[in-house]
Amino acid sequence: VSVNRPLFDAIFKESDMKTRTIAMGVLMLLTSLGTQADETCNSPYMSKLIKGQEDFVHVLTLGVQGWGDGSDKLVTIDANPASKKYGKVVHSVSMKERGEAHHMGFTDDRRYLWAGGLESNKIHVFDVGSNPAEPKLVRTITDVGAKTGYGGPHTFYAMPGRMLIGMLSNTADKGGITGLAVYNNQGQFVAKYPMPTSQIGGVQGDGYGYDVAINPAKNALLTSSFTGLDNYRRELGAVVGDAAAMKKFGNTMVMWNLKSMQPTQVLSVPGAPLEIRWSLNPGDNWAVTATALTSKLWLVKPKAGDTSGDQWEAKEIATIGDPAKIPLPVDISLTADGKGLWVNTFMDGMTRYFDLSKPEQAREVYAKQTGKQVNMISQSWDGKRVYITSSLLEKWDKTGGDNEQFLRAFHWDGKELKPAFEVDFAKEKLGRAHHMKFSVKADSARALAAPAAPMAVARAR
Amino acid sequence: MQVAHPARRRVLLATLAAVATGARAAADPTQPLAPRMDFVPLRAGTYTLQRIQTCPDAMLVDAAARRVSLRELTTGKITLLSFFYTYCTDPWGCPFAYATLTGLRDSLLTDPALARRVRFVNISFDPTHDTAETLRLYAGKLHANPQFEWRFTTAATMGQLLPLLDSFGQDVAVTHDAQGKPTRIRNHMLKMFLVDPQGMVREIYSLNFLQQPVLLNDIRTLALEAGRL
Repeated sequence: VSVNRPLFDAIFKESDMKTRTIAMGVLMLLTSLGTQADETCNSPYMSKLIKGQEDFVHVLTLGVQGWGDGSDKLVTIDANPASKKYGKVVHSVSMKERGEAHHMGFTDDRRYLWAGGLESNKIHVFDVGSNPAEPKLVRTITDVGAKTGYGGPHTFYAMPGRMLIGMLSNTADKGGITGLAVYNNQGQFVAKYPMPTSQIGGVQGDGYGYDVAINPAKNALLTSSFTGLDNYRRELGAVVGDAAAMKKFGNTMVMWNLKSMQPTQVLSVPGAPLEIRWSLNPGDNWAVTATALTSKLWLVKPKAGDTSGDQWEAKEIATIGDPAKIPLPVDISLTADGKGLWVNTFMDGMTRYFDLSKPEQAREVYAKQTGKQVNMISQSWDGKRVYITSSLLEKWDKTGGDNEQFLRAFHWDGKELKPAFEVDFAKEKLGRAHHMKFSVKADSARALAAPAAPMAVARAR
Repeated sequence: MQVAHPARRRVLLATLAAVATGARAAADPTQPLAPRMDFVPLRAGTYTLQRIQTCPDAMLVDAAARRVSLRELTTGKITLLSFFYTYCTDPWGCPFAYATLTGLRDSLLTDPALARRVRFVNISFDPTHDTAETLRLYAGKLHANPQFEWRFTTAATMGQLLPLLDSFGQDVAVTHDAQGKPTRIRNHMLKMFLVDPQGMVREIYSLNFLQQPVLLNDIRTLALEAGRL
């Protein structure tokens, strides 16, 4: 029978309750047995998810004057151990300008990779789906400032058919008061939403923005807060030495109603809460973040004792290194089961692993210095491969011999990070290595043009 | 009709298990479960849906083998549009969409005035197999129900369908077997597009967002927006 409607009629419409329950149980069991997926840092709501071994790691780099053409780049590295080019740069595409390239994110169909320039206020869109080995720059969105009044497009979070963008700054005073922008997948502006500056739920909003992350089961959007262009484009030492500048960092997270895109609660999370990761473990409704300036891990979870089901609370759960030394936690990566968390601290070059099996009792169980400066950290879905890059921001990276620029790949066996390969971005003159995304060689949608096996049409009943 | 006879029940379950096993390769690997909904949805009309994109136009063929423009099928009413193929067996793909749509239709029919302002449009990924005759088989009595407009269509050729898929950002790929030959499995992300009567896409749902009460409220919100509910 090649028409399946009657079968599912039988399941959903015509069978008795017991049969229906058993049948759906069989379906869910068999489907869950096949569960494998992509790396854990993306929006999880996209297609063509990587089931196992990634073929390529794409690294977004900030251009360095005198290194090649000096422009920002998307660099592609072969990451499949079975390949003869394993660990080698196989492609790079220049943006023909230096605009503080920073973070990137796939569209929900995983065909296009959007990359933001924190200084240029532009979004470069790369076609990765057609040939992941050779991404192509296909579009540059230049109207972000004009359409939104915001600046510094930071986080690119796939929603169905559109991209939710967490911004850092604004075009008026280059400070940290900013908002969220939504563009459709064709690159057209859809909407903007200001970060709250009023008091909501008893906590004062500060208007700052950074990361965005969605929990559809709770209709919840969670955002975090950093600082504006006037700080992130200034030398780090000068910022730290300027008491007024140090006051211009975010100290809040905001919970939004995703459907209405209205803020519903401001949470006090002092010290610039940055990356947000919702637990992807089915049934979980908590998220974790790290605060850059205060060096803490925070948990955001449903408020204890709340019966309305829509109140949240933020709770400090762990200390990262010695906060007095400002180790500057800059990126986190949550395991797929929500039971472990990698944390990179920029200043001391440390990569730490926290046991989150009891999220409110998080504890550090492993630490290793992986560089003189480290920033982003990404892991494969199975957690067996961990990738680390070096650059934070052009003006905040270390100088001299400490200014290493690399991608380092590691194997993780649950006990030790063991080096797999390394790409020296300084030696290759490819720029400051920042954000990473994975891809695989995939069937092309164009293969649809090829006829499938002949099949008979049978009348079901 | 009840599937009460034990033998028939065993056949159904055995068939279902076989279907599910075969479907594992096509299932979206991170979406193994039905969408959770741990919240009370906002009341209809208390929020504004984004204006995401203009619905593209294309010439389609319906289950009666008539040529019909997509614009005609996406204007004048609130339209819930989705792509499918009739022999899809991914439990969280087309069959789940079908269950969602039939449930939603039943809810809408409790409010006939609203139901008359809504249509469902299904467009097949596979014009080669899903001919008008096959679409009629699949649709059964759904497409001929005067109480509710539910249209089943496809493009005349694959070449005409691909630009439409691109315009909607609807991914789909043929899964190949170990020998590299194309199989019957079309791996695709389940998406539904809610289109207002002016032909503007106002919401897009993938599996995690396919929560029936939310869909119903979004449809009511668009109806209220037009000021005639």
